[in-house]
Amino acid sequence: MSADAVVQLFDVSLCYRLAKQRIPSLKEYALHWVRGALVYEQLWALKNVSFSLAAGDRLGVVGSNGAGKSTLLKVISGVLKPVQGRAEVRGRVAPILELGIGFDYELTGDENIYLNALFLGHSRKEVDARYQEIVEFSGLGDFIRAPVRNYSSGMLARLGFSIVTAWVPDVLILDEVLAVGDVHFVKKCEERLAEFRRAGTTLILVSHALESIQRNCNRCLWLEAGQVRADGPPAEVLPRYIGSAAPVGA
Amino acid sequence: MPSFPALTSLIRHRDLIWALVVRDLRVRYKRSTLGLVWTMLQPLLTMSVMVVVFSTVFRFDVPNYPVYCLAGILFWNFFSQSIVASMVSLRANAGILHKVPLPKEVFPIATVVSGVVNLVLALVPLGLILLATGHPLHPSLLFLPVAILIAALFTLGMGLLLSPLAVFFTDVIEMVGVTLSLLMYLTPIFYPMAIVPDRFRFVVRFNPVRSILEVFRDPIYFGKIPPLTHLAVAVGFALVALALGAWAFRRNSDKIPYYV
Repeated sequence: MSADAVVQLFDVSLCYRLAKQRIPSLKEYALHWVRGALVYEQLWALKNVSFSLAAGDRLGVVGSNGAGKSTLLKVISGVLKPVQGRAEVRGRVAPILELGIGFDYELTGDENIYLNALFLGHSRKEVDARYQEIVEFSGLGDFIRAPVRNYSSGMLARLGFSIVTAWVPDVLILDEVLAVGDVHFVKKCEERLAEFRRAGTTLILVSHALESIQRNCNRCLWLEAGQVRADGPPAEVLPRYIGSAAPVGA
Repeated sequence: MPSFPALTSLIRHRDLIWALVVRDLRVRYKRSTLGLVWTMLQPLLTMSVMVVVFSTVFRFDVPNYPVYCLAGILFWNFFSQSIVASMVSLRANAGILHKVPLPKEVFPIATVVSGVVNLVLALVPLGLILLATGHPLHPSLLFLPVAILIAALFTLGMGLLLSPLAVFFTDVIEMVGVTLSLLMYLTPIFYPMAIVPDRFRFVVRFNPVRSILEVFRDPIYFGKIPPLTHLAVAVGFALVALALGAWAFRRNSDKIPYYV
């Protein structure tokens, strides 16, 4: 890993085995194995992806549905280990692939603050220290003592975002989650992201809202069929990406 | 040592493991008052049936059979339920495994720990039966925490070994279920070793589960701390199971999110 890199991917490839060929039972597997007929049809979600990000870089990832964007985020956050190549990340990663991971709907908001933060790898003591701040930022007031099954989706998102961003990460990974919540909360979220930016957090953002990439990122990666089509400043990459969607010959 | 970073990562997640245990217990007990009663009642009911069957239909010469039998049932319930629950635990938490990086062992570990809590709760009806049948309360009962620890390590090893398989293949849970019911009859839970014919005795004798069971039952029923040789064998089985399970789980850990 080069000295100034915070995130570095070396020739990362990853494939899913297709359901058609997946062997669901041990008995069948044994039979296929004995006959030597064990063939998998593979779907390469990422192919030979390499890039590196320095501290403070803000990368926007674009591409059509199924291009491999979410898979890429899962590799960087450490959820999926690539089949080939490797991904290295320096420092603490806050992966926001979904808000409110592990929320238990029978538990109250404050109990879920603990559960969710523990899933994200914090200790109970760390949560104790930030608890008040999380509750305040969420703006949920007395609702924090109600079971989350009574929350609206906006309230769930508020709570989830407040928890995961209560600690300044070295690398923040965002998968199109900011499109929820009311205008006030969206504004608070943007303020918090600006704080992270000042603190030198590296941001990786997947979004179909191209103007948000234009505004927030200094770099843009265009993925197509699991491969990097373009990598450069948003002002260069985005027009090409938009152009690719225009009808041929128009 | 390949498992070293995994171990530090598990230690870092100890608060999570405990929270998962509490969540498990809450699901089991909070939503129904019958939950707690059932944990205590179910082994007693099984015991009653066994007492009727074995003291009237087939007759063994086991003094105070209810205590002998109940101690075995409690151990077996812990062992078999924890293994099946470990195997289900990864699939049950698929949503989390897809979204956040964590040492996946936390789920089988939390399952076995909550099994231990259930076992300890089920010792209450055992105590009542000890008192009701006038069974002497030996100081050897103080050895039980050690016996439970050995049983828990052995069970955790088996759970770690089998739970990735249950993710990769859908029929493994069912196959383990069948194997467990066969294994139950090869373990002297309801019957004494003495009734096993000589030519079959080696099968029961070399069954590791029997060895672990006896370390648990000796202090309750016979009022003695298990002999050092038995203890060494049981600890050996527990450590081998744990090492094998931890190794197999680590080896397959990266593949789990692709399959759940």
